[in-house]
Amino acid sequence: MTQIDKKTLEHLADLARIKITEKEEDKLVEDLKKILNFFEELRELDTEKIPPMAGGTDLKNTTREDETNKELVKNRDILINSFPEKEGDFLKIPPVFE
Amino acid sequence: MNTNLKNLTIKNFREGLTEKKFSAFEITEEYFKYIEKKDPETNAYLLLLKEPALKQASEADVKAAKGEKLAPLTGIPLAIKDNILIENEITTSASKILENYKASYDATVIKKLKNEDALFLGKTNMDEFAMGSSTENSAFKKTKNPHDLSRVPGGSSGGSAAAVAADMAVAALGSDTGGSIRQPASFCGVVGLKPTYGAVSRYGLMAMASSLDQIGPITKTVEDAEILFNAIKGFDSMDATSAQLQTTGYKQKKPEELVVGLPKEYFIEGLDNQTSKAINEAIESLKKSGIKFKEISLPYTKYALSCYYIIMPAEVSANLTRFDGIRYARIASRGSQTESLKEIYFRQRGEGFGPEVKRRIILGTFVLSSGYYDAYYAKAQKVRKLIKEDFDKAFDSSENGVDVILTPVSPTPAFHFNEKTDDPLKMYLSDIFTIPVNLAGLPAISIPTRPMESPPVGFQLIGKHFRENDILEIGKLYERINNITQ
Repeated sequence: MTQIDKKTLEHLADLARIKITEKEEDKLVEDLKKILNFFEELRELDTEKIPPMAGGTDLKNTTREDETNKELVKNRDILINSFPEKEGDFLKIPPVFE
Repeated sequence: MNTNLKNLTIKNFREGLTEKKFSAFEITEEYFKYIEKKDPETNAYLLLLKEPALKQASEADVKAAKGEKLAPLTGIPLAIKDNILIENEITTSASKILENYKASYDATVIKKLKNEDALFLGKTNMDEFAMGSSTENSAFKKTKNPHDLSRVPGGSSGGSAAAVAADMAVAALGSDTGGSIRQPASFCGVVGLKPTYGAVSRYGLMAMASSLDQIGPITKTVEDAEILFNAIKGFDSMDATSAQLQTTGYKQKKPEELVVGLPKEYFIEGLDNQTSKAINEAIESLKKSGIKFKEISLPYTKYALSCYYIIMPAEVSANLTRFDGIRYARIASRGSQTESLKEIYFRQRGEGFGPEVKRRIILGTFVLSSGYYDAYYAKAQKVRKLIKEDFDKAFDSSENGVDVILTPVSPTPAFHFNEKTDDPLKMYLSDIFTIPVNLAGLPAISIPTRPMESPPVGFQLIGKHFRENDILEIGKLYERINNITQ
């Protein structure tokens, strides 16, 4: 089916926003090859007519009123104080568009 | 005072407290004394909450002294897995990326326990973000199995299981995505219950794989598991998958009226000898007490591991995008050099996540990526359906189905440190008997066989959706036969 190589891994790491070192790369490629090879057993199953199970429950459209959560408002200081960087009460981040 | 922490269960703690044999403060103090002595060896705890716990204990004592009506968990000292939020306390999920993260609210289960005046001794060690089967993937320490320090406690709730097994807590909370409550409970010789998907709110549980995660109790007895489960279950509008329990129209059968199925796919050749022998003895003793057994078949069992290791990493890769070094906490940068947004993402996640977490994020990104989605993720969702239908058929009462299914919890007892760390597939295989339950969303409990083996062995009882009572009743019967219930 698929062969995973260093180039694919680098692309995946880029999509996942994870820095992978050279040393990690070799082990990861080897592990992923083994794991993907293990998945091959699924090919022997004919699932053409089987509907997918898309989650852990059959519940649909569980919603609640769109109201302010008083608990969370009460604790806004804890939340704000844990920002890695801030300006006033705002979370500060580097420019998104460079 | 010389209370024996060893025999302390939720049930007899409550009796002692109401009969004024001891105070909650005395017991809590004793726990901390014992933890300070014992835990440097076991490493079950990541954080102790001594001050708030002793304060909560005094408050419980005041209520007891006034003769107020006590909640079932008043004053009970509990241990909490470190992926469950307690307001204003450091919560790390045993990951470096959250080393300094302070939770800003209580998880629903914590709120419910606080309402019952329970208290929290501390946060327990785990595999990073609950990914692992031995707690060796913690970024901070290695928890040891209290029955044999050269062995792992299991995982990912290894700290919670070890804390209860080593008498460093009366009971604990864990979380279970593919066996993370049941497998460590079995390795440590304690009881672990994974409730039905939707029975317990996950609001305030750090999400790993949302279609599989559940919170549940780890306790010394089945009766305690029942008490703790009753305290944390129930509908919560803050968890969109939380179910309104419908128990009407069902009359609870006595354990002797329940038929237990033994799936032949779970009693395989690879099963460890000691495990197989201990479980067969447990089956024999249940038979003698009048429980009826029947061989059944769950033919798609062998595909569950592949199915799980596609679906779970896919959900992991999505859920863990939130840990980006921006929102929650940030690992200090080494230089004074300012980083761009992208540089922050890459470095924080590269340095903040351990090898197993990275492996699963990359694998999940792969199975969801364009070109491979149908072959892996879509296929796995269909196979999941087949696995669930296996259980539906086995439980179908119109087809002469069974009420409960009994299986081993893990193919082997607790293994040694570093035995499986080099080969992820080998580690994954230790969950083959627990994973199908999460895929199908069923409730299941792990109970130690008696007399306890060394290292311990657990058997698993799987019930129908929302029929926790069926498995709890058989579990309690088993403990009565073995004179466990005090």
